[in-house]
Amino acid sequence: MAISSSIWVWIAAFLTLAVFSFLYKDNIIYKMVEALFVGVSAGYSIVIILKHSFVPNIWKPLFVSHNLLYLIPFLLGLLFFAMLSRKTAYLTHIPFAFLIGSGAGFALPLVFQTNVMAQVKGTMLFAPSHYPSLGAFINALIIFIGVLTVLFYFFFSRGEKTNRGIIVKTGIAFIMIGFGASFGYTVMARLSLLVGRLYFLFGTWLGILH
Amino acid sequence: MTGVLLIAFLIGQSAPKGFTFKAFDTPNDQGNSITLEWSGDTTPIKIVRIFRADNAVGPFTPAKILFGNIHSYDDKDVQDGKPYYYKIILITTENEIIASPVLGPVSSKPSWFDMSKLPLFIVLSFYILVLLYYILSARKGKEIKLRPIAGLNAIDEAVGRAAEMGRPILFTTGLLSIDNLSTIAALNILAHVAKKAAQYQTRLIVPNYNPAVYTVAEAIVRESFLAAGRPDLFNSDDIFYISSRQFGYAAGVTGVMLREKTAAHFFMGYYFAEALLLTEVGASTGAIQVAGTDAITQLPFFIVTCDYTLIGEELYAASAYLSKDALLSATIKGQDIMKAVIIAFLVILFFVAIGAESLAMKVANLL
Amino acid sequence: MKRFLSRTLPLLMVLIFGVLGAIQYFVPHKVSQVYYRTILTWSIGVSSMAVIMAAISFLRYHYKKIMSSEGDTLYSSIALVAFLAMLGFGAFGTDKGSLFYQFYQNIFVPINSTMFSLLAFYMASASYRAFRAKTFEAALLLTAAIIVILGTTPVGSSIFLDKVTMWIMSIPNLAQKRGILIGVGLGATATSLKIILGIEKNWLGG
Repeated sequence: MAISSSIWVWIAAFLTLAVFSFLYKDNIIYKMVEALFVGVSAGYSIVIILKHSFVPNIWKPLFVSHNLLYLIPFLLGLLFFAMLSRKTAYLTHIPFAFLIGSGAGFALPLVFQTNVMAQVKGTMLFAPSHYPSLGAFINALIIFIGVLTVLFYFFFSRGEKTNRGIIVKTGIAFIMIGFGASFGYTVMARLSLLVGRLYFLFGTWLGILH
Repeated sequence: MTGVLLIAFLIGQSAPKGFTFKAFDTPNDQGNSITLEWSGDTTPIKIVRIFRADNAVGPFTPAKILFGNIHSYDDKDVQDGKPYYYKIILITTENEIIASPVLGPVSSKPSWFDMSKLPLFIVLSFYILVLLYYILSARKGKEIKLRPIAGLNAIDEAVGRAAEMGRPILFTTGLLSIDNLSTIAALNILAHVAKKAAQYQTRLIVPNYNPAVYTVAEAIVRESFLAAGRPDLFNSDDIFYISSRQFGYAAGVTGVMLREKTAAHFFMGYYFAEALLLTEVGASTGAIQVAGTDAITQLPFFIVTCDYTLIGEELYAASAYLSKDALLSATIKGQDIMKAVIIAFLVILFFVAIGAESLAMKVANLL
Repeated sequence: MKRFLSRTLPLLMVLIFGVLGAIQYFVPHKVSQVYYRTILTWSIGVSSMAVIMAAISFLRYHYKKIMSSEGDTLYSSIALVAFLAMLGFGAFGTDKGSLFYQFYQNIFVPINSTMFSLLAFYMASASYRAFRAKTFEAALLLTAAIIVILGTTPVGSSIFLDKVTMWIMSIPNLAQKRGILIGVGLGATATSLKIILGIEKNWLGG
């Protein structure tokens, strides 16, 4: 494999090195690439949102299929323009109310079901005979204790004394071990991303790696 | 011709003993669906032929052929309120033929309540009633004592420090849209921080990821400055849109940190992998950092890189704590009661399970 | 009139859309399904129209930076040109082979992947930060992290750390997640109720 002759690969390699240079320190080249990145990604976002959210959900139903019901969201959306003047800005409260109200309503039972009901169900502890082995029971017991002590940690109206108690401390210990585990688990995934970039530099671009 | 005769013959047959066929309106659905079920001792089923008619005597026409060891089918090609009759013919792997009697009349109808969600409905209603009870008692003037949360005290401290240093504050509201509750929780904290910033005459910068959230954030900061009596200090250019791409946004925000020399950073709401990029660059600038998120996968990174982190439920409690509003705080007591109920339920269920396993299993299956 | 449009009507709207949205979850009837789909489409549609405000914000922010003499002229010019270029290309199509796609694929993607890969370095510096904290909590976090990191390597699996890792991930880690999720569920439900009832109105300016 030889050094790449594609102009796009050279550009990508330059951009990659420019981003890495930030690790050393903030510099002119990085700042230029950052500005380029922000501009491209903002432009990309706007086009994609218009194409995938506005066109199918407002434009087509209203202006192509002439479904007049869609005049409602269209007018609600137009009210965003009110924010351009301080005098009319209060009108934006109307589309906010629609989005926040319907979002909060739809979320209420759903979040309770997935976060509370399902998790409580998963935590239920039964007699040791219910489990295939003593080990499985002990594991279920540890989860049980962990969930209860973490819940204790979140008590807001508890006194100062319980704050230092063994139950809350156990809860904190569970939280920290869990966080450590997630942290460690992510390391490998991030390293593989770095390896991917290095492979691009030394393989695709320079042709040293195969 | 022989095939038609065979089917006609089979339709006339009835099921063997111990084999049951059922046809009923599909429960808990939006209508236009009839469920057919069959069960009994047999070798695995190979082919299922379903015939349907508008009256008991026929003619029965083929409605569906299923292949494999299947034991139920939802006929979704039906009109609500119209009676249907079914005949089901099963062919087993040993070529044994089992035919159902005529099933019906059966008609479909939409349900107004999903009975499978009844336990959720009951528990949720109980929780809402608890919350309402505390809201109403707060209306009557009952006070609720809350423990201090370090991360929340840190919010005012961070604003104060930025003011002392004469440097701006940076606030981000996460990557989710405005209909998401963690974004709303983040915006509630923004309202508080904006009022403090106005009082301390400190610049507040809010870069945004989501366009709709941008418009709300702008309104909140504007109105908070107004409420604090300093509308003159509000600069709409300080609340701006960056990008709706994760790392494009992160690059823009870290750029603001480095170039504007922000002294206090707030990361509230929901985040993904970009969280560590934001907070690690932020920490390297020496700014005081306070995070609050219910993004469990990102919490470890906030914990190690920020001075204070509001974990999960603390993010939602923040608005009440900060506003010191009695009505808002009231629900926090309700949340605690519900936690106590959950703990009690789990502990009691365990003891019930030791004494009477079947009773505990019944309760468990209800949820 | 202003008070009605800025407060009464919005509060009425969150109440109505909130209550209907919550009830909808329990009602399988067609009416309810149609309502859900309609409101969902409308929400996406309405939010998408805020994109025009976002674009104006982006333009204004960088235009002002270019005009000011703070030394950001160069960077904001680059951002603005790139932004307008993407909008312009986007108008002519976004399919494979279009200029929009070319720029996305060859400018955005390499920078994006490199930004993402920076996280590998930041994980190291974040670990060091935790190491220096020298608290009991930080020690627990680091110990669990080190075990899991080693457990996912061949060295770790030779000394049974892979099994310990599996256990940590599926037992204490799960317990912690569940506990936090239940708390979040209770807090989010309460927040949602307070919004619907109009008790939480920070989004209306307090």
